[in-house]
Amino acid sequence: MSVDVGALTLRGPILAASGTFGYGTEVPLLERRALGGMVSKGIFLRPRSGTPPPRIVETPSGMLNAIGLQGPGVEALIRDYAPKWAEWDFPVFVNINGESAAEYAELTARLDGVPGVAGFEINISCPNVEQGGLYFGNDPRAAAAVTDAVRKRTRLPVWVKLTPMVSDIGVIARAVEAAGADALCAINTFVGMSIDLNVYQPRLSFRTGGLSGPAIRPLAVHLAHQAARAVRIPVIGIGGIATAEDALEFLVAGCTAVQVGTATFVNPRAIAEVHDGIAAFLGARGLSSPADLPRYLPRD
Amino acid sequence: MFLVDARITGKRLVARDMYVITMHAPPIASTVLPGQFVNIGWSPGPMLRRPFSVYRVDGERIEIVLKAVGVGTAQLLSMTQGDRVSCLGPLGHGFEFGAGPRSAVLVSGGLGVASMTLAARQAASLGIRVTWVHGARTKEDLCSESDGDDLIWATDDGSKGVKGTAVAAAPDADLVLACGPNRMLAAVAARWPEAQVAVETYMGCGTGVCLGCAVPLKRGGYDRACREGPVYRASDIDWATLPSHLSYAATP
Ligand SMILES: Cc1cc2nc3c(=O)[nH]c(=O)nc-3n(C[C@H](O)[C@H](O)[C@H](O)COP(=O)(O)OP(=O)(O)OC[C@H]3O[C@@H](n4cnc5c(N)ncnc54)[C@H](O)[C@@H]3O)c2cc1C
Ligand SMILES: Cc1cc2nc3c(=O)[nH]c(=O)nc-3n(C[C@H](O)[C@H](O)[C@H](O)COP(=O)(O)O)c2cc1C
Ligand code: FES
Repeated sequence: MSVDVGALTLRGPILAASGTFGYGTEVPLLERRALGGMVSKGIFLRPRSGTPPPRIVETPSGMLNAIGLQGPGVEALIRDYAPKWAEWDFPVFVNINGESAAEYAELTARLDGVPGVAGFEINISCPNVEQGGLYFGNDPRAAAAVTDAVRKRTRLPVWVKLTPMVSDIGVIARAVEAAGADALCAINTFVGMSIDLNVYQPRLSFRTGGLSGPAIRPLAVHLAHQAARAVRIPVIGIGGIATAEDALEFLVAGCTAVQVGTATFVNPRAIAEVHDGIAAFLGARGLSSPADLPRYLPRD
Repeated sequence: MFLVDARITGKRLVARDMYVITMHAPPIASTVLPGQFVNIGWSPGPMLRRPFSVYRVDGERIEIVLKAVGVGTAQLLSMTQGDRVSCLGPLGHGFEFGAGPRSAVLVSGGLGVASMTLAARQAASLGIRVTWVHGARTKEDLCSESDGDDLIWATDDGSKGVKGTAVAAAPDADLVLACGPNRMLAAVAARWPEAQVAVETYMGCGTGVCLGCAVPLKRGGYDRACREGPVYRASDIDWATLPSHLSYAATP
């Protein structure tokens, strides 16, 4: 079941998605054998308290969240969690966040070489304070600048997590590939809104939130596919995966691996079930590894 | 924490529109502490699980108490014996009884009885004298199963017991435990800053990973109702920021 994401070999094609798995230490039920890797909750240099409640609301086949990247800051992460990760038998990627390219760079420099940190997933769905709050991920130059800033501070794998809120994901994908990304993660949540008719106000205190879950899956498969067609580096598919078939759609659409998020809230065994289901699918077809799956990836 | 494929074994009416559902969940029944909850999912059903306090334990069975307030609770109430739900728990941090309180007052509003029955039993087993003050809108809305050494009823319309709120009707005691709508709990906090209160929030995971269940703290920042909570020291919560409406009519 192992897959190669660039130079890195994962023992399986499924990772736990950022923000849906905490720091990996919370859920004792977890079947770790099924994890190819994990991405930790998004972290900033400094502690962040996050947004006021309500922070989540259920929507048809999905949910909106506005957590506001609550987190203890990088020093607490290094002190409290990295030492545990160092003992685990799967790699932990840190989802890194910043308000400027310099902040991403400083965060990377601080984390590089810390035992337990296997690599970086750059969350470019953050507002760029130096550009009037425009999201890094919406602008190929800003996205490339952040990628480049991180790339220069580490030799560990650098993955860039793309936002779906763009008119052409291929443009961003190519820009960050050129800036030195080792892989792309597609996609982060879609921005959505839900109104409470009892009070004529948004249900989330932050007004908008990120939509995740099965509701976004076909959109995510398409965007991951478009990203995969645009670049040569591996793409890790994310969005609404709850079953092995869902994950296989992403793999056939051109992804090398996948991440599972919201589904683990619903079913704490989701990752193990996806893992075992993919193994059964491959076995039944005489395929020895996910890399042997036929790909639907026409190059133009 | 266990994930149990739980068979529903019974349902009974305990107040107007308010039911107790019994389910077979042995590992949860043998480990749950007062104030803890379970996160229940079923298929077909809403995507996210729904959190419920463990109301009572009866051998290998646990009980929850609920009213239909939305899609999920309505579906749960339409289930019949033999139906199965996925039950994750016990979750959260419950009530603490500390060293040597001699008297306890339990204050419950409406569905707030949900986390009180286990607390009453625990207190009694520790030799603590229990006064349970249970309030609701009217006589018909009072849960028929409240018990304690002393039992005080309160109704908004005065149709049974004291007219007014449960908080106003309650005496003082060494230990105050409360559960009910967040608005009622804010009143508890004003009267007894040291009280332990069980709050409600929306929940994503119930296990501490999503940070969706944020409870605003007086000292700043948030922590998780599903992990550090749902039971808090009343004075630790920033009541002005904790949503009191959630347009949630279950615990009036
Ligand atoms: C720790 C904890 C323990 C709980 N214990 C009990 C219990 O013992 N008995 C009981 O009846 N209820 C309890 N609740 C509340 C219960 O979880 C909600 O009533 C339930 O999730 C609503 O689901 P629904 O699908 O019926 O409602 P939905 O259709 O999702 O929503 C219906 C209405 O309920 C509101 N609502 C939804 N979820 C919540 C929530 N978590 N808290 C407050 N309001 C909500 C919505 O704003 C909406 O107006 C508890 C909640 C928590 C967090
Ligand atoms: C509660 C919650 C918190 C999240 N936090 C982060 C985060 O900190 N950083 C990030 O890059 N993505 C975050 N995400 C996005 C997920 O990692 C994932 O991209 C998205 O949810 C789509 O996948 P899913 O449908 O499998 O959940 C979060 C998602 C949820 C639901
Ligand atoms: S409900 Fe997810 S952290 Fe509490």
